[in-house]
Amino acid sequence: MKHKRYEISYSEEHLRFLKKRRLHVGVVWSLRVGILLLLIGFWELSTAVGWADAFLVSSPSRIVKTIAGLYQDGTLFYHIGTTLWETAAGFAISVVLGYGIALLLWWSETVRSVLEPYIVVLNALPKIALGPLIIIWFGTGSKAILFMTVIVGLIVAIMHMLTAFVSTDKNKLLLLRSMGANKWQILSKLVVPSSLASFISMLKVNVGMAWIGSIMGEYIVSRAGLGYLIVYGGQVFKLDLLMAATVILCFFAALMYFLVAMLEKLLVKNTEN
Amino acid sequence: MEEILRFTDVGYIYHTKRGETVAIKGLSFSVEKGEFVAIIGPSGCGKTTLLSLAAGLLAPSEGEVTRSGRCGYMLQKDELFPWRTIEKNILLPLEIKGKLQQEQKEHACSLAEKYGLSDYLQSYPSELSGGMRQRAALIRTLAADPDVLLLDEPFSALDYQTRLNVTKDVAHIIRSEQKTALLITHDISEAISLADRVLVLSSRPARVTHAHSLQFEEPDPLKRREKGEFSEWFELLWRELNG
Repeated sequence: MKHKRYEISYSEEHLRFLKKRRLHVGVVWSLRVGILLLLIGFWELSTAVGWADAFLVSSPSRIVKTIAGLYQDGTLFYHIGTTLWETAAGFAISVVLGYGIALLLWWSETVRSVLEPYIVVLNALPKIALGPLIIIWFGTGSKAILFMTVIVGLIVAIMHMLTAFVSTDKNKLLLLRSMGANKWQILSKLVVPSSLASFISMLKVNVGMAWIGSIMGEYIVSRAGLGYLIVYGGQVFKLDLLMAATVILCFFAALMYFLVAMLEKLLVKNTEN
Repeated sequence: MEEILRFTDVGYIYHTKRGETVAIKGLSFSVEKGEFVAIIGPSGCGKTTLLSLAAGLLAPSEGEVTRSGRCGYMLQKDELFPWRTIEKNILLPLEIKGKLQQEQKEHACSLAEKYGLSDYLQSYPSELSGGMRQRAALIRTLAADPDVLLLDEPFSALDYQTRLNVTKDVAHIIRSEQKTALLITHDISEAISLADRVLVLSSRPARVTHAHSLQFEEPDPLKRREKGEFSEWFELLWRELNG
């Protein structure tokens, strides 16, 4: 709001420009909200009038009722909490571990060349294929789901960060070496700060990966969580429950992505030239 | 005169999977304290290799490079770290050497002040013009108090107008700090306008084919360009470079 005081001194043309910008933003937002309301309204209407069978497609009002029901019997936050914990912990572990391993691979070219084919194969492998193995090794509790979440995100984190570390500006490396910098100094003064933008984009990708991992894990083995509600809802044909869990999932996935975007605004200020 | 840098019969071979390339062979020259030496050569003649050898970043395949004192490197682009303020950028070489003492820090800051950067110390590089950034890069190089400055086409990334101004700027700073400098460039007029001595390199493998002492009274690169000798030198060096 700092510039508002000076608005008087702007030219006519600039004021028109500002007005047009505001109008544009307004139109975009009203269309966004409008589409959502329209979809919900059409959904509700079509089940109320009987164009679609509410037993098969559920409806917004039934979803709200289901969520309220879950809240009343006290299981709503239990399921949300279970999935959130698995997702957040898996996310944190895969990011930290992935960053560390990428640093290690950056440090030694030999280790990097030796391990490259392993990483490529692990990246290509669909992690869900490990499902039965994970159940046998880790049982049917949260540990198995956490493990699934970690392996889904880990390889992506490693590859993403390694690419960023390896593509550090050659001239800046030369400059630091001409100053007599050792490898630790090159790492801390150049490689880590210059890869900050990549780190943030890795976080964004890994938020999605963590949700895939935790929900996939809950599909395979679980007694609680949003993924469990979805699978259970599908098995007993309670479409209301399935849809309610999916809506809640949408909300939290968006929230987590939003938090990372906030972090980006906080951290990335002066990375581009 | 005290010799700061000497190349004695230096050769350098690049090794790649596909084979080896002789980049430099039988290269000899020396740089004395306080001198401004320019080396010109056709493009791809191993100029950057030569500077890396001078800085000790590469070891010669044959011959010997002797150096008394420290080198400071200045590259084509300013290579300021965009996440650091100008002050932090300037103090970087001291940080690397691990001797960020008050005295050294004050020396660096006084250089910044002397050459018109004091208002920008807390700014980020993206807030500065190309010319100011290159000046900051020079102050960063000088902050570590090097005995010889190695300049790798430090003006070639700038537009012509800025380039003339920055060249003048850098020449002024280097001469008033009484620094020794070795400039590598493919720009003949830049070499003539800046240097006390010009060495001409052959194409690969690089060696010195001609050496000239330029007897300009005038240290200002812009004024040098107006002198009659300037075009004579230009023609001579142009012929030697292409000959």
